[in-house]
Amino acid sequence: MGDQNTPLTEDDARQLVRRLGFGIPVKESKKFRVSELTGLTRGAAADLFLTFKPKGFKPKSSEIEKAINKWYKYILKRKKNLALQEKLVIFFHDHFATNFGTLDGQEGEKDAITMLAEQNKMFRKNCIGNFKTIVKLVNINPAMMNFLDTVLNTKDEPNENYGRELQELFTLGATDLNGEPNYTEDDIGQISRAFTGWHHDIKDGTHHLHTDDHDTTAEFPGRGDKEIFGVAHPVGGGHNYGGFAGPQSFIVGGEAENEIDEVTEILFQHLDTDGENTVARHLTFKLLEYFCHASPSKATVDAIVADSGFVGSWEMVPLLRSIIVHDIMFETAVPAPFGALSKKSVRWPIDYAIGTLRSVALNPKGSELEIPGGDFNSVGELLAEMGQVLLEPPSVFGWNWEESWISSAGLLSRYEFVRDVVASRKKFKPEKLIDIDLTDPGDIVDAVTDQLGVTSQFTATQRTTLIDYLTDEGTNPTLDLTDFDTRNRKLHGLYGLVLQSVATVLH
Amino acid sequence: MAITRRQFLKRSGVVTAGGLAGSAGVFGNPLVKTALAETIGDRYFVILYLDGGNDGLNTVTVADNGAGSLRTHYESWRDPGPNEGGNSNGIRLSAGELAGTLIGDDPNTGAQLALHPGFAGSGPGAGGLKSLYDTGNVAVIQGCGYPNQDLSHATSSRIWESGDPLGGAGYGNTGWVGRYLADPSTMYGALDIPAITINSSVPGEYIQTGTSVVAINRLSRFGFPFDPDYGDDDTAKETAFLELHAESLASSQPTVELTGGAGTATFNASQSYPALHTLYEADRPAFDQMYDDLSSSTARDLREVAKVIYGNVTGQANIDARHFWVDNGGYDTHADQGGAVGRHRDLHDEVASAVKVFYDDIADMDPGLEDKVTILIWSEFSRRVQQNANGTDHGSQGPMFLIGGKVNGGVYGNHPNIDPLAVDSRPNTIYSQDALDDFRSTDFRDVYGTVLKHWLNMPHGTILPNVLTLDAGMDPDLFWTVENFDLTHPVNLGPLFTP
Repeated sequence: MGDQNTPLTEDDARQLVRRLGFGIPVKESKKFRVSELTGLTRGAAADLFLTFKPKGFKPKSSEIEKAINKWYKYILKRKKNLALQEKLVIFFHDHFATNFGTLDGQEGEKDAITMLAEQNKMFRKNCIGNFKTIVKLVNINPAMMNFLDTVLNTKDEPNENYGRELQELFTLGATDLNGEPNYTEDDIGQISRAFTGWHHDIKDGTHHLHTDDHDTTAEFPGRGDKEIFGVAHPVGGGHNYGGFAGPQSFIVGGEAENEIDEVTEILFQHLDTDGENTVARHLTFKLLEYFCHASPSKATVDAIVADSGFVGSWEMVPLLRSIIVHDIMFETAVPAPFGALSKKSVRWPIDYAIGTLRSVALNPKGSELEIPGGDFNSVGELLAEMGQVLLEPPSVFGWNWEESWISSAGLLSRYEFVRDVVASRKKFKPEKLIDIDLTDPGDIVDAVTDQLGVTSQFTATQRTTLIDYLTDEGTNPTLDLTDFDTRNRKLHGLYGLVLQSVATVLH
Repeated sequence: MAITRRQFLKRSGVVTAGGLAGSAGVFGNPLVKTALAETIGDRYFVILYLDGGNDGLNTVTVADNGAGSLRTHYESWRDPGPNEGGNSNGIRLSAGELAGTLIGDDPNTGAQLALHPGFAGSGPGAGGLKSLYDTGNVAVIQGCGYPNQDLSHATSSRIWESGDPLGGAGYGNTGWVGRYLADPSTMYGALDIPAITINSSVPGEYIQTGTSVVAINRLSRFGFPFDPDYGDDDTAKETAFLELHAESLASSQPTVELTGGAGTATFNASQSYPALHTLYEADRPAFDQMYDDLSSSTARDLREVAKVIYGNVTGQANIDARHFWVDNGGYDTHADQGGAVGRHRDLHDEVASAVKVFYDDIADMDPGLEDKVTILIWSEFSRRVQQNANGTDHGSQGPMFLIGGKVNGGVYGNHPNIDPLAVDSRPNTIYSQDALDDFRSTDFRDVYGTVLKHWLNMPHGTILPNVLTLDAGMDPDLFWTVENFDLTHPVNLGPLFTP
């Protein structure tokens, strides 16, 4: 059991760079190199990663493809802990998912890009801020108000789209960690009432309440009091849904603008069937899935929530710090051969693609980010084939994580991406990544897997396979990598095999 | 000593590496042929998922009251559209708009039913599902669902995909078709590719652990990407790739094992499936063009299915997939749903036109081939009975479709009860299995079970314990307790699939 005082081994440092950023970049500022991080305590490293001032970048352009490429390029170039900034922005983009296709259909390309770019900037500005503030900003975010139909939700024609997802996805989760429901359908209807009449102005990004469209109990006494969690939970130990003693009214300050903030405050007090804070557990669980692996235990979730003081503060930095110093951060890095209980996680396409480019110092060409080899695909085209286009998550649920990425279509696109990279004769230069005076095939394999940081992820048998590949099953016992053709055939080929292998697809 | 999976894989890898297409490798495994003969024979099964919650009341719509009041109630919930003096916010389908797509009567009330006018199809798919209904090849199954409808897309999709409305069967994330494929009675093995899903990830219905289900977006792009400058090194790369992945497949860590297996299956499929694209384009240019002319993703996806079926029919080497999945997205019509024109119509047109061209394509490929194909259409829920400003929120049970040459066409199951006194407070229709309820609903698992038993030939005794859940001990007025999986036509009383 480690803690914040545990010094980082070299493998630990590598794991932090990989999981808090995109690959292990060849070009990196000194303080964030693996060699410099090694030996720091987990706490000191966490503080280093979490101390940055968020940037004001937003992916804006006249065309959506250009806007998306701008973001890819921005991620590709981030150094130091600003790679973590982008990892967090992508997390929030997935957690509070809105997509271009829907907004384009509603408002046209120009306005859709404006709304998404502004939302993206909001996530970036707040990514190490306060989670409750982020939820409140999402409530009135133009892209979200359009995407989940808040702008169509009126007293006469209620629309429950946002009221549902605010609970199911953004704050509580449909069920708690015991699989028990966190709310009822009536709660969705009641929350939707609070959100009636809200509109926004795309031009200046402001939002406002049309009181004429707002649902008030005074006008609709038949709809009952405006309150949520007024029903006894079947396993709530005599408590209502949310662990409350009685119904929670959100018209304390009158039936007006403040209702949506009051609803948010109530949601953040919601307790699950263990009596634990539901929002804290839900967000922590999801962050652990994102940064660590898909099966965090309840005990780990609770330990991190407690250690961070997240309940009440809702501050992202202490929560992320508690995750970074916890053993779970390092669990997926155990060396091969892996036991049945070892943890692994499938890298997201964006992490795999951008991380690979950074790990081999390949800069794609032009604003289209073309990879100049193989089929000369662009990074964007390949990411689309892998199943991930930023600014275009498939639905409000964001992307399907983990094993969903491991389909044949998704894998083949990863293999194709790697092929394009290693066939980029002018841009991919392994002679600058390893010592090409090496002649022993075992040394060459080790040099390549070391350079990519995955040596420990191959079994001895797999290492032999790679050696057999280099020697053509023993036909050529040594290699002269200074020879152009040998290098291009075998060293490029070896990079391809390592980058396509399970060791690199997972982390 | 028994051959381990890893050893078996290495052998198959060598065969593939040698390029001996059609030899006794993985796909030539005689066990697979036996499996096919004893289970689905030379049949095919296609799932078409309507993503987002399809509005059932505007899919199979009451055109008159019959002996009841369904049309009157329908008009009370939904505002008139432009053809009835309303505007484009109204989603009601008028009797006049439904006149061209009438089907049978509601078995319960005798109300005249009609498909949404979009189901008449257009362009090369003109006639659509309506014409297939008229030739007796479409079963419209009303009121399909489960008790206590969950209104979350994710949760309800999961229920339909798993075939487990109670959520207590311990199925993990596996799907009903996946468990069928993995069941020993089908005799598919770990190295077989019995199913191809046309999308970027394996959908919930097909997830399992026993065989390789391969997700392919486009066959033409499914060749393995080798370095074009050093083709003389391809065989060495192939051998190493397969060995690396075989070793991962042998790992006891589940994610590593899965990724190793998926990589192996991907490689194997990449060696045999891309050629089907070229073959189809060369042999079937007229139909190829028709799918193009429809210019919808669903049409293009069904064309990929047609290519694989054509590969099977023409006996191409190493092609055995007989189960498929495609989707049509955009049904979450909280807003801008439209009535006889608009978004919902366009979606139905896409489905109907694509299915019609696909059906014609199949029938044209080989005499009687349409008798060997069944398409199942489903959605995770229907939509709110009462429209909102210009759309509908999430609802409860809705219709399913089964389409094929051996489908005993007609209307099955009752239209849901939309009497204002019979709906819940949202208002949504209420699911019921009460035998005394004239509007009794249809358990979606009865449709699945009938497909498994009568189309996929799964032994009856295997279905409930292994593929679908039991409802033992549950309220019989809510949960379906008949276990026969023998849906029958309400008029001619014949089975859903004619022998």
